Amino acid sequence: MKAFLSLARLYLQSFYNLPAKKAPGARRDPKAVLKTVGIAALVVFVLGEFGFIFVMLNLGMYEGLAAAGMQGMLILNAVVIATMMTLVVGFMTALSTYYVNDMELQLLSMPIAPRAMFGAKFLSVYASEALFSLFFMGIAMAIFGVKEGPGPLFYLWGVAAALLLPLPPLAAAYIVQIPLMSVARFLKNKRVIVTLGGVLGLVFALGFNVYYQRMMVKLGDPAALAAMVGGADSMVARIGSAYPPAAFAWRAMSEPASGRAVLSMLGLIGSCVALPALALLLLSGAYVRSLVGFNEAHVKKLTRAGADAFIARRIRAGSPFAGLVAREINMMNREPMYLLNGPFVVVLMPAIIGVMLAVQKDAFLSDPDMAGVLAMLGSGQGAAIAGLVGAFMGTSTSIACTALSRDAKALPFIKSLPVSPRAYMLAKLCHALVFAAFGVVVGVGLMAFVLRLGVVDALAAAAAALALSILLNLAALWLDTANPRLSWDNPIAAMKQNPNSVIAILGCMGLLVGAGFLVFKFSMGTGELALWFGALPFAASAALLGPYLRFAERRVSALEP
Amino acid sequence: MIELRGISKTYAKSAVKAVEDLSLTVKDGEIFGFLGPNGAGKTTTIKMLTGVLRPDSGSASVDGIDIAADPLEAKRRIGYVTDNPELFARLKAAEYLNFVGDVYGVDSGTRRARVAEYAGLFGIRDALGGSIGSFSHGMKQKLIVTASLLPDPQNWVLDEPMVGLDPKAAFALKEVMRTRASAGKTVFFSTHVMEVAERLCDRLAIISKGRIVFVGTLAELKSSRGADGSLESLFLELVDDGEGAGA
Repeated sequence: MKAFLSLARLYLQSFYNLPAKKAPGARRDPKAVLKTVGIAALVVFVLGEFGFIFVMLNLGMYEGLAAAGMQGMLILNAVVIATMMTLVVGFMTALSTYYVNDMELQLLSMPIAPRAMFGAKFLSVYASEALFSLFFMGIAMAIFGVKEGPGPLFYLWGVAAALLLPLPPLAAAYIVQIPLMSVARFLKNKRVIVTLGGVLGLVFALGFNVYYQRMMVKLGDPAALAAMVGGADSMVARIGSAYPPAAFAWRAMSEPASGRAVLSMLGLIGSCVALPALALLLLSGAYVRSLVGFNEAHVKKLTRAGADAFIARRIRAGSPFAGLVAREINMMNREPMYLLNGPFVVVLMPAIIGVMLAVQKDAFLSDPDMAGVLAMLGSGQGAAIAGLVGAFMGTSTSIACTALSRDAKALPFIKSLPVSPRAYMLAKLCHALVFAAFGVVVGVGLMAFVLRLGVVDALAAAAAALALSILLNLAALWLDTANPRLSWDNPIAAMKQNPNSVIAILGCMGLLVGAGFLVFKFSMGTGELALWFGALPFAASAALLGPYLRFAERRVSALEP
Repeated sequence: MIELRGISKTYAKSAVKAVEDLSLTVKDGEIFGFLGPNGAGKTTTIKMLTGVLRPDSGSASVDGIDIAADPLEAKRRIGYVTDNPELFARLKAAEYLNFVGDVYGVDSGTRRARVAEYAGLFGIRDALGGSIGSFSHGMKQKLIVTASLLPDPQNWVLDEPMVGLDPKAAFALKEVMRTRASAGKTVFFSTHVMEVAERLCDRLAIISKGRIVFVGTLAELKSSRGADGSLESLFLELVDDGEGAGA
């Protein structure tokens, strides 16, 4: 039991990057406090954003269902959504944490019982799933509670159900993954599972986007929303009747003070605990065995003649600066976590926007507010829209704002080479701008196609997008040069847990919204757009480049990684 | 030639000096061993010498060029083997070698000849097309050693170079050290392996708690201690003395 608890604590700290316990009497670092406050604010912001969406959805749904006297279905919907969400997110989390890092190999050498190892991993993944479930259920419970006043037992059963519901989906995820990892050798590679998890995440994000857009379309029509949920053939109704934990949870919460509720809760506990217990009992050994040989690397060997030919063909001199830029590109694009959250965004974002437009097209075009916007697009401001979208795409890759942080491990070696900090940071800027240009082409190209822009408008939009991208990428690089995240164990931390990427993306969005406001406020035409959002940012970038490089020279020289 | 003059270093989050008023001169044609227990300040000293860290005071120069005043020129004269071979895991071995070659401005012909020579010597010739991430610790170490020799540096600085090397590669490394010193080049390396230091070094320095406690030849060390023991026993005595003085 002691090993299980220690291991669970270790996994929890490692998965969620929890801070270590402070030594008694240790001083609080103001920077760390500020960071904690910033992260807390971000969590509140993100939760608030999602919370708002789900509150609105649940409110609309409640109104529609209440009109038909079926408001209890709101709870069944929350139960089903919590189950589905934890199934998808749990599957991805279980996959991405299946083999955390080489620490797992060390654990294999320790006298830890397989059940303690698997149990600790299960518990650590479950922690986030339980919070997810509480979030979805909590919103529906709050709305139902305010509207119907169901009594304290409703909340008690609700919280218990929220905590129990993620258990079977998570157990199912492991029941699929453990045999797969045991037989499919190619899966036993951290890079492969991170890539797979990332692709599944993207598919899930697109799927969630479709669901969200479809729900948003129906938000103004509670009856339609309620029909989607409450219809006899609806997914919610079908899952609710066919999936015992959902049915038990719904029954318990529908009549919380009855004896039937207690029986349903017992049924819920039994049905939710059975699968994890079986997995723990039957699969712990297989889980531990599947970790053996994980991440084993095989070096590709050349024959003697092949090595000679290889050296003659592949070892050749090039420009030092091109070498620095190539290193930046290879180091980022070959790390799945960086690629999927960085340059790949340029491909993903249009896909999400495409889904949004495809699902909402009719509602979007028939919205009375859109008439004015469409008129403006027709009067030459389509170029501005395309330019701003292109600028956003060119800045959304997070390359510049994490450039130095991602290189933290290599920094001591780089500093020992005869490479000036100027050239080093300029190579990073070049890397960001290569993908900024790609983002601009994709963003402006798509918008030009959708808005049917002429060649002159499209070129003006591209010029503005490129100039804004250069300026924003330079600003983002400056931010990461001034305050890089140099201490991390997992590359994910350098990018996804880096406040610079959040600041850069939010700052970029704010600036582009401000620019959009100015475009429409002053009814800027194509020429004005090219001047104010093309020439001006370009001139600003040119003026800032020198001071930035001087700053980078001092800053990189002073960094002690 | 390598010269360290009164360099000191205290890390930002520590009150203790990692290196204190350290001075050393390593002459051309010399193999110089830098010995000390864990945490004595060996790597910090090497990092200051190679420009990775800035000393709080004092100066470091190679071939008479101050690394703070003209870092690029000084670094061009150093081939550095870091103590941490976990670098650039996403690059292929050949890409890494080309990167180092480009940065030092080594032309294609010379580069091919040196890659063929050193990669062959250290037994990684057949793995040049492989990804560094798939290499064992020893292979990564061999790759870093090969890369450090690409520019044929006047000053070869190695931090714990024997760690992870198999006996054949360790032997080859010692041979290369001797060959370079015979050609008038400087070899400066840190090690924990007393036998290596004893057999290889022309001179050595022992550092304890950030301070040099001895600089000279092994014979000088023996005569200064009035003992005829092995380097290991003399090292332990000196380090014990240093720790006693520091306590």
